[in-house]
Formats: sequence, structure tokens, C-alpha cells
Amino acid sequence: VNESNLLNLVVWSPVAVAALVAFLPKGEAAQIRVATLFGMLVNFGLCVAAFAAFTPGASEFQLEYRVRWIDEIGTSYHLGMDGLAATLVLLTGILGPLVVLASWTFITERVKEFHLALLILQTAMLGALVSLDVLLFYIFFEAMLVPMYLLIGVWGSEERQMAATKFFLYTLVGSLVMLVALLAVYFIAAPAGSRSFDYSTLYNGLLAGQREAANCVAAATGHCNGASVAGGALFRYGPWLFAAFALAFAIKVPMWPLHTWLPDAHVQAPVAGSMILAGVMLKMGTFGFWRFAIPLFPVAARGHQKLFAGLAVIGIVYGALMCLAQRDIKKLIAYSSVSHLGYCMLGMMAFTAEGATGSAYQMLNHGVSTGALFMLFGMLYERRHARLMSDYGGLSKSMPVFAAMFLIITFSSVAVPGTNGFVGEFLVLLGTFKSGLPWWAGVFATSGVIFGAAYMLWMVQRVFFGPLTRPENAALVDMNRRELAATIPFIVLVLVMGLKPQPILDVLAPSTDKFIARSMYAAQGAEIPEAAVQVVVKPLPPKGAVQPMAAPPPAAAAQDLRPVDAAVAARAQRLAPGFLTPVARPLPFALPAPAEKNP
Amino acid sequence: VNTALTIPTFTAADFLPVMPAAILTIGAIIVLLSEVFLSNKSRAHQAPLSVITALIAMVVAVENAFEPAREVLQGFAVLDPLGSWNSALVSLAAALASLLAAGFLKHRNAERGEFYALMLFGAAGMSLLGLSSELITLFINLEVLSVATYALTAYLRRGPRSAEAGFKYFILGAFSASVLVYGAALLYGATGTTKLNAEMVSALTTAMAPGSGKQMLVYCAFLLLAMGFAFKVAAVPFHMWTPDVYEGAPTPVTALMSAAVKAAAFVAMVRTFLFVGKVVTPEVVFAVLAALAALTMVAGNLMALPQRNVKRMLAYSSIAHAGYLLLAVAALFVPASMANNHDVSIMSASPLGLAPNLAADLYKGILFYLLGYTVTAIGAFGTLSAIERREDETRGSTWDLDRLSGLAQRKPFWAAAMAAFMLSLGGIPPTVGFMGKLLIFRGAVDAGLLGLSLLGILASAAGVYYYLRVVVYMYMRPVPEGAQEPARFWTTELALGTSAVLVVVLGIAPGTITEWLSRAGMVFGR
Repeated sequence: VNESNLLNLVVWSPVAVAALVAFLPKGEAAQIRVATLFGMLVNFGLCVAAFAAFTPGASEFQLEYRVRWIDEIGTSYHLGMDGLAATLVLLTGILGPLVVLASWTFITERVKEFHLALLILQTAMLGALVSLDVLLFYIFFEAMLVPMYLLIGVWGSEERQMAATKFFLYTLVGSLVMLVALLAVYFIAAPAGSRSFDYSTLYNGLLAGQREAANCVAAATGHCNGASVAGGALFRYGPWLFAAFALAFAIKVPMWPLHTWLPDAHVQAPVAGSMILAGVMLKMGTFGFWRFAIPLFPVAARGHQKLFAGLAVIGIVYGALMCLAQRDIKKLIAYSSVSHLGYCMLGMMAFTAEGATGSAYQMLNHGVSTGALFMLFGMLYERRHARLMSDYGGLSKSMPVFAAMFLIITFSSVAVPGTNGFVGEFLVLLGTFKSGLPWWAGVFATSGVIFGAAYMLWMVQRVFFGPLTRPENAALVDMNRRELAATIPFIVLVLVMGLKPQPILDVLAPSTDKFIARSMYAAQGAEIPEAAVQVVVKPLPPKGAVQPMAAPPPAAAAQDLRPVDAAVAARAQRLAPGFLTPVARPLPFALPAPAEKNP
Repeated sequence: VNTALTIPTFTAADFLPVMPAAILTIGAIIVLLSEVFLSNKSRAHQAPLSVITALIAMVVAVENAFEPAREVLQGFAVLDPLGSWNSALVSLAAALASLLAAGFLKHRNAERGEFYALMLFGAAGMSLLGLSSELITLFINLEVLSVATYALTAYLRRGPRSAEAGFKYFILGAFSASVLVYGAALLYGATGTTKLNAEMVSALTTAMAPGSGKQMLVYCAFLLLAMGFAFKVAAVPFHMWTPDVYEGAPTPVTALMSAAVKAAAFVAMVRTFLFVGKVVTPEVVFAVLAALAALTMVAGNLMALPQRNVKRMLAYSSIAHAGYLLLAVAALFVPASMANNHDVSIMSASPLGLAPNLAADLYKGILFYLLGYTVTAIGAFGTLSAIERREDETRGSTWDLDRLSGLAQRKPFWAAAMAAFMLSLGGIPPTVGFMGKLLIFRGAVDAGLLGLSLLGILASAAGVYYYLRVVVYMYMRPVPEGAQEPARFWTTELALGTSAVLVVVLGIAPGTITEWLSRAGMVFGR
């Protein structure tokens, strides 16, 4: 496989399989399931290949593929992934086959359409993760809505129509507002004639303006006279543009108070819908903040750091308190998502290396642990068709293996040391305390960990332990081989990511460095050279030229602006699993000292 | 004035631009003649005949678009890419509307030869209107297209709405035409010429010179002309007739009116103002156009918001879309004095000020937008025409949103096509509507109209609400009790399919078309 085509295969292989599945006869449910599983496994293999091909320390965006698309408006078909995208691609690839396995017997109606929706959704999600053209990202981002809407609206439970509509409209409103802001950025970032939707053009085009806008904000004169077009626009409209991007992604995350669609969507969705929603789609929100909202508008983002950190903390505590009050297990898992994604957002908004690394790691953790929780609960629901805790009790006697699996995933969710959850939440809290955020952010966020343990363990206790109060629970059969096969990868991930986080942290490290540099760019006291943050991508191939099939051009390697990474990568290969080492390493640029916490 | 009678000599090249109109007219005559020889009372051949005629005309028009711009027929018409693309658009619209009409008329037992003949005659008028570069020719062609559309509007004359709509359209149309002709007469009074060419420019320059005493006359002429065109393109505040007429007309006719009539009127307007606007104080021209654009964009979208009647909503939406086009037209007339606030590089030494490359971008934007709007609006009205039933007309609920409820379950392909049309009208990628809006707004921003563009973008963002409401009803509402299966006609489905494919393909890969349209920058007289 040619490297520069690898991402094309990653993105489009599910749709190719979907085209095959579309030709299978409607009645042949087993064939459709096997074909989809096979396609998802192939896609998983390609995702692993892409992850393995990613070299931390080389250029920021790797496996780039870029061809001309609509020259008229300066948009190109441009794929490429950085460290964060690489890990999320891997996560998406892992979830693909597991979702098919988890729905094997659960979906009995309109089987063909269901699997087509799954495959198309897989393409849309992977496409959004690896798009380096913002218009292309936007199209994939919107395209995710349709199959997900169908998954909830067609195969969901009783109130599915309401939940699907709510999910669809919330997300759509946000993304439309973002489209307006995206157009504004398109106009601001480059002069007439050289406009482009490419991430590099948009980001680099705003760079000079960022510094001017930051100086104007610091001068607090209320105007920004003498600045360039980009600088003046960022000063005046930057907060609005940031708000528009943030709204779209905050709905997707979802951040409190925009989370109200999530419990409904999760409760009504079929097990596959919940798994994908929790596993990957919510990450599109955090990924969007990481890739677009914060780097494009660092001045505005820093200006609203406390607001967003505050919303994240409220989300953590509110989600946890809502969980404590739930009787419905699925709703509890949904609210725990609100709480867990609060950590992602808090870590990101801390603007510290630890916080950002933790945030990125927490994105993966949440995908694994909550995806697994939804899948395991789906198995239970398939047997009993009941969602309330009071319907269960003492299941550990009738389903010992299932109980053990559920307990391990629960530990991951409540961040017990040794599981993946611990690494992420610990880093986020560490980053928060080290940051310029006020003390309450860290303290309240930490209380969420305690609440988390309380609601999860309480739920486990009520469902699995105690006496078997209901005769129908006593007759439940334990996991079968298919269910075990779908669960074991999650258990392995929980333990591997918990005990040996280093390989993933290494892949994330370049991305977190760039993210911190970009979010702190032009901050008072931070001396970040322009070269450290600029987006370096493959140039647009000339018109009519054949796409060169070589790996990243030598120019990009020569322009490698991050010598530190090479050392880090070398060390990471040499060292035994050094727990949490990469965040202790110095950043390649100076950051301002954290503000005084108690003024 | 030389009164001696001279026989003009024409060459074959003079007739090149009028070929599409000639083909359309011949097609119309064949349709009419075939009525005489009908043996078995079957009129099944008429729709395919009209479609084929219109498609041939379209191909010829596209061929013409690559001819260099020049004056023909002694300066009464021009052959330039702008006019040729207009002919192509109009022919495409006529072809799609004829396809829609086949099923529509059959369902109502209203197939008669004059329907397609009127459509083709009207299209010929629209095609000629885009070429006319002489005020009397322009007026006559405007009447040719108008008379045809008046008759088409009232075609279902026994229906409760058609007669009212036809009458309303006729009265207001005649009034607006008289306003236009009044303006033309004043212009002739001030300049002594009706030709829109260098002759007009020099005469106008004399008339506008200080002390000539004719300035007021020229200003009045300009304002009356602007009003006349504003009626035709349905710009606020001259839009009052639009919702009633669009609602009352047979739906395929509405489709043709919203797309083709508007395209032709816009082209004629640009052509007229190119010569008048060169001399009249540019600030005045710009102020009038900018005010019309702002009002039309905002009011069109706001008035569409509360509509539950989808056909009426689409009528208001067509007003809003005229607003975006007016924004681009206004950008063509940005005065040099305004450019001082922005960037001097957008101005050139040409009399109209705007640098040629920016003007070319705007022409391309306008034409691409018209193309996108044509396929989208015809598709949207076509879907409506496919689901409407005669029995509902007396109850006035024919086009209520509820009629679309659950369409996705009853007719998944129709619903998908309608969703594509709605997304395109709303300007959401990857549809042609997004590309068109982007080109128009980019042209306007580059010409320095930041504020107006922002207003337009926000207005169109508000507009997404009512387009998406249609999608929500189709996909998220249950099928209403007692809903009847809409009748299927392969012609209607072919038109819907073609429009839907064009909406998506032109949205994803507009490359070739935009390159072709780039040549529209070569407008005669620039």
C-alpha cells in the first residue's frame, strides 16, 4: 500500500464495503452481518496500519494526500493526520467491528439498511478526523448526522423519533452557525485571489493578525487601529467567531448547558448508536475545539478560558449529581458521559501540557469505557428489555463472567489506578492545578472523581450484588462466545492503556505541544516563534500534474521545526515504560508563569 | 436624422444569437400545428417534443457562449457570453418545466397544445430579452415573455386560484411594464437614442453635462427603469405580486417563472444599467441597487419564516434569492468613491470602476447562481407539483407543510431529492446552492461590500430555518392519517432526478462549468 493513499483507503473502505452490502439480498441477514463485519475488520486493519505508519517527531501532519478539487473556491481534497487524529482513527477503527458484533442479534428489522448506515457513518467519522481542508471536514461533519439520525430514529426504542429529532436539530443549528463563521474566516485569512479552505491557509493566514489582536487586547484601548485586515477582524469579531465555532463543538461534546439532547439520544438509541455516539461522535466536539476553535482564535479562547473551564467543571459536577439521581441505567451512563467529557474540556482549557495530554487521553478513555458500558448494558437489555436498576439485582450469581467484565469496565470509568481512566483524569487534574485557572476549578473537578466512584459502584452494587430478587433474573444466561469476543478487546484496551500508556502518549505528544503552542500563541509573556506554530502541509499539486505518489516531500522534513521531538521519540523507544514521563519533559518554548491563584 | 430608407444587410453571423430563440419558436409552432392533425386525441408527443426542442436550443446557446462578444443585427442585439448563457439557462428551465408539466397536466386532464407552445414562446422571449441591447427591442421581448406567462398563470382557469393569480399578474405586470417603458421614453427624450451602446454613452454624457438641464430627466429615467426591473425580478418593495401569483399559477409554470423569467430579467437589468450606470452618478446607481438588495434579502427571508404553505414559502424564498443576486449586481456598480475606504486595488480605470477580474468573478457568480437556482427551484416546485392533488385545491391545504409529513416513508427518493433541494436553497455544502452563494458573497466581499455581504450571510442563515423545517416534516413526522399515494409519472421523476443530480454534482464538482462561465466576464460593452 502506498503510504500517501493509506488514508484514502482508511476513509473510503467502509463505503466500498457498503456498496457490496447494498447488492446483497434483503433477506440474507447473516450474509449482510458477516460482510459488514469483514469490512469493518479490513477497515480496522487499515486504521492500525495508519496508526503504525505515524511517526512521532516527524512532520506534524503525516500520510498526507492532496489533490486539486474545486479550484474556483480554493478547496482541495486534502487528507492527513496528526497524533491526536491518529489515535482517534485507531479508536474509530477498533469500535467498528465491535459495534457490528454487539448488534449481531439485537437488530432484526431492516438489517441491510442498518449495516449500510453503520458503514457510511464509519466513513464520515474517519473522514472528519483526517480532513485537512476545513470545507471537507465540514461536509464529513454534517454527513455524520444523517446515518446517526437514522440509527436512533429507526432502530431506537419507544421515544426514538423525539430523541433523533432533538439530536439532529441541536447539532445542525450549531454547525450552521459554524458555517457562517467558517465563511468569515475564509474571507479574513487571505486576500482575494489566494483564498482557500485549507487548514494551513486559514491558520497561517490569521497568524500575523493573532499577534496584533493580542497586543490590542492587552493595550485595552478598545480599538485596533493600524492593524492588518486579519488583526482588526480578529480583534473585533474574534470573540464572535470563536463563539460560533465553540457553540457548534460544545453542542457536540456536549458541554453543560447544551447537553440536554444527549441523555435522550443515548437512552433511545440502539446499542450500536450509543456505542458510536459515545465512542467517537462526541469526540468530534472535543476534536473540533482542539483542531479549530482554539487554534484559530487563541486570543478569544484565552479571554474566555475561565468561562469554558467553569462550564466544564459544572458539567463534571452536574453530570455526576444527575447520575446519582438516576434509576435508569442507560441514562446514568449517558450522564456519566457529560461528566467525563467535562474532564476533556477542562484539561484542554487549562492550556498546560499535562492538561492537554490528559484531555486527549481522556477522549480515548471515554470512547473505550463508555462504549464498552453501553455495549455491556445492551447485552443485558437484549435479555431483559428493562432499563431500571430496580429490575435487576444479584446478577453476579446468574451471570458471573458478565459481572466480572462489567466491573472491570466500571473501574476504568471511575478511574481506578491501573486502568486507562486513571491516566487521563490524573493528567487532567494535574494540568488544571498547574494552570492559571482558579483553585475551585481543580477542587470541584476532583470532587467529580469521588462522585463518579459513588454512582458507578452504587449502580454495580444494585445490579450485580445482593440477593436475586426476581425469578427472571435468575434464569439469565451468561455471555456467549460472540459477546465475549466483543468484550475482550475492550478489557485489553482498558488494561493496556492503563498500564502502558507510553506508546499512545508518544503519538499524542507532538500534537499536544502544537496545541499548547497554538493556544498560547501571542500570549503576554509567552515567546512562541511563528515557526513553532505554523501549519506545514504538502503544497497543492500543480494543475494537470499527476499526483506524486511519494511519501511526505523532503521539503517538509527539512522544515521540521521540532528538533525536540526526535529526541523524545528516541528516548521513548529506548526507555522501559516510563509512566507519565512525556509530560514532565520541558516544552520547546517558554510559557508565561501561571497567574497568582488567590488575588 | 437620416430618413432615407436603407435596407440593412445581415449576414448569417447576425442570426447566431437568436438561433436558440428561433429553435424554441419553431418548436412552439410545431406543437401548435400538431393540434390540427391530431387523430386520436393523444397529446403524449407534446411534452417530449418541447423538451427536445428546449434541449437543442440549450446546446446551441452553449455553443454560442464561446463566441467572442460583438454587436449584431445593427446594434439591436448583442452576441456575448452573458446573453448566451441566459439563453442556455432559460432553455434548460423550459425543458425541465415541460417534463414536470407532462404529469401535472395529465393528472388534471388539462393537456392542450397551447400550454407547451406558450412555454416555448415565453422561453424564446426570455432568451431574446437577454440579448436585446436596444430599449424598444428589450420592451417587446419583455412583453413576449410576459404575455406568455400571464396566459400560463391563468391556464387552469377553472381552478379557484389561477384566474385570480393570472389577473393580478397581468395588472401588475402591465403596470410595471408601463413604468419601464416610461423610463425608456424619458431616456430617449434625454439622449435621442434607444440603442444601448457607445451612442447612448456619449449622448448621456452630453445630457449629464452641467448646464444641459437634462439631469433630472436622466435620473427619473434611471429610477423608472430600476423600478420596472425591480418588479420583474420581484425585489422588495416591488414584490407584492409574487407570492399570490406563484401560489396561484400551475406549479410547473411557477417553476419556470421563478427560475427563467428571473434570470432573463436580471441579465436585461445588468445590460441596461451597464450603459446607463456608466454615466449617471455612480453613487446613485449603487445606492438604489444596494438598498434594493438589502431590503430584498432581509424582507424575503423574514416573510418566508412564518409560512406554512410550502409553495408560498418558496415564493418568498425566491424573493430572498433575488436579493442575493441583487447584491452581486450592486457590487458590479461599486463607485470609486467607496473604494477609498477599502482597497484601491479593486478599482480600475474603466468607467464603472470595478477591476475587470473582479467584475468577471461577479458575472460568473451571478450566472452560476442563476444556474444553481434554476435546477434547485425547478426541482423544489416539481416535488410540490408531484404531491399535490386536485381535490385539495378547494380546501386550500394543497401545499400545507403537513402534506409533506412522512414523505420519506412514502416516497424515499422524492424526499431525498426534496431534501437536497432544500439544503441547496439554504446554501449548505456540498450542494450547488452553497457554491453559488459562496461565489456571490466572495465577489461582493472582494468588491468591498463587507457590511452588505454580512447582512446577506446572516439573512441566509436565518433562511435555513424554513428550508430545514420542510426536511424535518418529511423525515421526522409520521405519515398523516388517510394520506393517499401520490400518482407517479416517469416524466416528473425524470425531472426530479435530473435536478437532484445536478444539484449535487454541480455542488461537488463545479469545475468545468465555472471555467466555462468565466468567459461570461466578456460582456459586450465592458
